[in-house]
This record gives sequence, structure tokens and C-alpha cells, in this order.
Amino acid sequence: MPDENAQPAVEADKVSFNYERLKALDELSLAVPKGTSFGLLGPNGAGKTTLIRVLVGLLKPKKGSVRILGEPPSRKTSHLIGYMPQLHSLYTELSVCQNVEFFARIYGLGKDTPKRVEEIIRLVDLWPRRNDAVQKLSGGMRQRVSLACALVHRPPLLFLDEPTVGLDPELRVTFWEYFLELTRQGTTIVISSHTMDDAAHCDLLAFIRDGKVIASGSPENLKQAVGRPGATLEDAFLHFVRRERGGNG
Amino acid sequence: MDSPALTVAVRIFRQISRDRRTMALIFIVPLVVMTLIGLSFPDSSVLQYIAPALIATLALFFGFLLTGISFLRERSQGTLEHLMASPVSPFDIVVGYLGGFFIFALAQTLIILLYTIYVLQVSYHGDLWQIFVFQVIVIIGAVNLGIFISTFAKNEFQMVQFIPLVIIPQIFLSGVIWPVEQMPDYLQWLAKVLPLTYAVRGLRDIMLSGQSLLDVWVELAVLVGFAIIVSVLAAVTLRRSA
Repeated sequence: MPDENAQPAVEADKVSFNYERLKALDELSLAVPKGTSFGLLGPNGAGKTTLIRVLVGLLKPKKGSVRILGEPPSRKTSHLIGYMPQLHSLYTELSVCQNVEFFARIYGLGKDTPKRVEEIIRLVDLWPRRNDAVQKLSGGMRQRVSLACALVHRPPLLFLDEPTVGLDPELRVTFWEYFLELTRQGTTIVISSHTMDDAAHCDLLAFIRDGKVIASGSPENLKQAVGRPGATLEDAFLHFVRRERGGNG
Repeated sequence: MDSPALTVAVRIFRQISRDRRTMALIFIVPLVVMTLIGLSFPDSSVLQYIAPALIATLALFFGFLLTGISFLRERSQGTLEHLMASPVSPFDIVVGYLGGFFIFALAQTLIILLYTIYVLQVSYHGDLWQIFVFQVIVIIGAVNLGIFISTFAKNEFQMVQFIPLVIIPQIFLSGVIWPVEQMPDYLQWLAKVLPLTYAVRGLRDIMLSGQSLLDVWVELAVLVGFAIIVSVLAAVTLRRSA
């Protein structure tokens, strides 16, 4: 169970961000406790990817502040972060091994690189395909390479932007087994998704809509807030969307 | 501990060298272009005069094109963004990309230079190694210019549009075809801010007049300054465009 008294792994305080005139994040606040899997759940265009890009330090918020393991995002905190972008963001001409090795060296693994590269490629079950160019792999396999690149330097904090999109159900289960094992080992995972299946696996959730957190809590608490037995997370999301509209109207 | 810039350079080298078609084009295109140029100059005295300018121009053109398009691909595929989220500094990224692309731009320039001298039989008076060092400075500027200009393009089509904007005016205004001194005053002023003007003048002085690198120190200093300025601009604009 997460320690509620511990300093949050991620804190966002009234963060706003605009793409020119388009408001992507609107005074969004959240806190992610250490060692939890925290889901950012919302429809496409809700602001999930923008939020992750702000949290990993790729975008600077126009207003508000962000703290990663107690510090503002910087090159120092980027050592502590594993980032799996929404695009596969892999060097498709290079082999599985060369991609993972590149990120291992970039994160300064030095002499440990060959051993760790083998370990992580075996973990994502791609060892037999290690010398194949990424462009020859299926979409699901590329997702696994991307995950291996994010995990190779053993980061205590992982940001995964829609990591299960396009995966078949079997691979989705495998991915969630990895994620749960990582949180058991103390890694904090922030994961964006628009599927309720992913949401159900998370320890905590934030429902995001129009750049704001409209509700947050454990999946059970969010379902109970609907006030109807047997309510699903989908019901809970719609419940909070209606409440938000009512509040704004 | 690995140097981040070296790690990036090695990755680019591996990436390009694994792509056989790209490798073939990198080596074949300069040969085809130089053969056509050689055939189109039946009067060898004209070729003697224009050859240094062509060598400098093609180094700028191929260096700019190779880097600009490759770097743009990194931006559009999200690999640059992934790298920007890592602990690598923008300076290391630019130096790494420069190192990776430089090897291929250098190979193309060497092909052009050696083909011009040994196949087209263009005579030269300066030392070959001094011609080579001068060309290295031209390539460094061209490669960094490609990285910097790719900031302003969102796709390959837009990047290609920068060729007529960045390269073609330099060919007409830098003394490649027509001496700068015979152009109107305002165009002569414009020529003074174009790096190709200094590349053409310096290489002509070395190849045709047998001058040394020390003799062309002004041209060399301007080209080094240009390479530093575009490197800094490339590093500064990297985050904005990732």
C-alpha cells in the first residue's frame, strides 16, 4: 500500500499551458503518491499528453508549478524519469538491441550497459528478435521496445503516454503485469489512457477533461461516487462530466 | 561513462550506415553530378576556374540537404523529443548530430574533391591537405545550418522549399558563376554576409593561386564564425522545436 505521508512523487499546482490560443491545461492540480500506479484518464484532446510533456520537462507551464520527486523538472530530475512517448519514437533502422543500448548509454549506464540491455530485452520477451531492425517488428513489439528504452536505466518514476494503444488483449495483460511488478518494487507510474480497462488496473485515477482534473481517487471511490450499485468507471467518468457541466452551467 | 555527444554520433553513424539505399545514394550522387559537370565543360580552362567554386558549393549543398532532411525526420518521428526528455544537453545533441552527419558529408566532399582532381584533371596549386582542411570548415557550417534551418520546417516538403531560399541565392551571389566585384553595389553588400562567398574565395585562392590557409585566414575566420553562430542557434532552438 502506498505511504500517504510520504512526499508525492509528482506534484502539479494550478498548471496552465496554451498552444497559441488553444488552452490545453487549465489550472490543473494533482499529486501522485510514491510507489503507485496513477492513471490520467480522459478522452482524446483532454490534455493528457500535454500534461505528461509538462511533467517530464519538455514543455514549460505558462502558469503554476511542477515538482518531480520534490524538485522542478530539470536535467537532474530527468535521470530519475523513464518516458515512453505516445509515438514509438524509436530509431527504426536500428536493431532492438541498438535502440535499447543507445538509451542505456545516454542515461549513463556505462559498463553495466551490455548486461542491463540483455536483462531488459529478456524482460519484454524480445531476446530472440534482438538483432532485428525495429522497422521489421509488429506494432506490439515496437511498444515493447519503447517500454524497454524507458525502463533500461531503472528509473524510480515512469511516465507512460498511452502505452497500451493498439495492443492485443494478451499483450495488454502482459504490460499490466510488468507495471504491477514495477509498482511492487517501489516504482511510481503515471500512465495516460482513454480506456476504462487500463483505468481499472491503476491504484489511483485522475479524470481529465478540457485540461482540468474533474475528479480523482481510487477506482473504487470514484465508482461509489456515482451512488448506484454496480456502477462502472465509465459511469463514474460520465457522472463527473455531467456534474462539471452542471457546475459550470 | 560514455560521452553523450559521442553516443549520439555513433547512433547516427550506425543508423545511416544500416540503410543500404541511403549509403549507395550518398556515394553515387556526387559521382553522377561531377561526371555531368565534367561532360558539360568541353573547355577545360573554364572548368579550371569554376572547379573550386563548385567544390565549395556542392559541399554546402550536400551537407545542408543531408542534415536538414535527416534532422527533420528526427523531429517528425518524435525521436528528438524522446532525447530531449533525457539528461542530454542541447549542446551535446547538436555536437553529436554534427559528428554523425559530418562523416557522411565529409565522404561526399572527398569524393567530389578527388574526382575533380584525378578524373576531371583539374590542376591545383595549393597543398591538398590545406584544401581538405578548408573544406572541413565549410562542411561544419553546412551541417549546422541544416540542423538550424530544419527548426522552421514541419515536414520534408517545407524543408525542400528552403533549398531555393538558402542555397540557390548563394550560388548566384557568391561569385560561383559571376565575379562578385562585377555585381551592383547592393548585391556586393549582400554577398558579404553569405558564407559561400568566403568559401568560394578562399578555395579559389588556395587551389588557383597556391595560397596557404594562413593567407586565407580572413575567409577561414568568417567560416569558423559562421559555423559557431549556426551551432549556437541550432542548440538554442532545439527545445522550441522538439
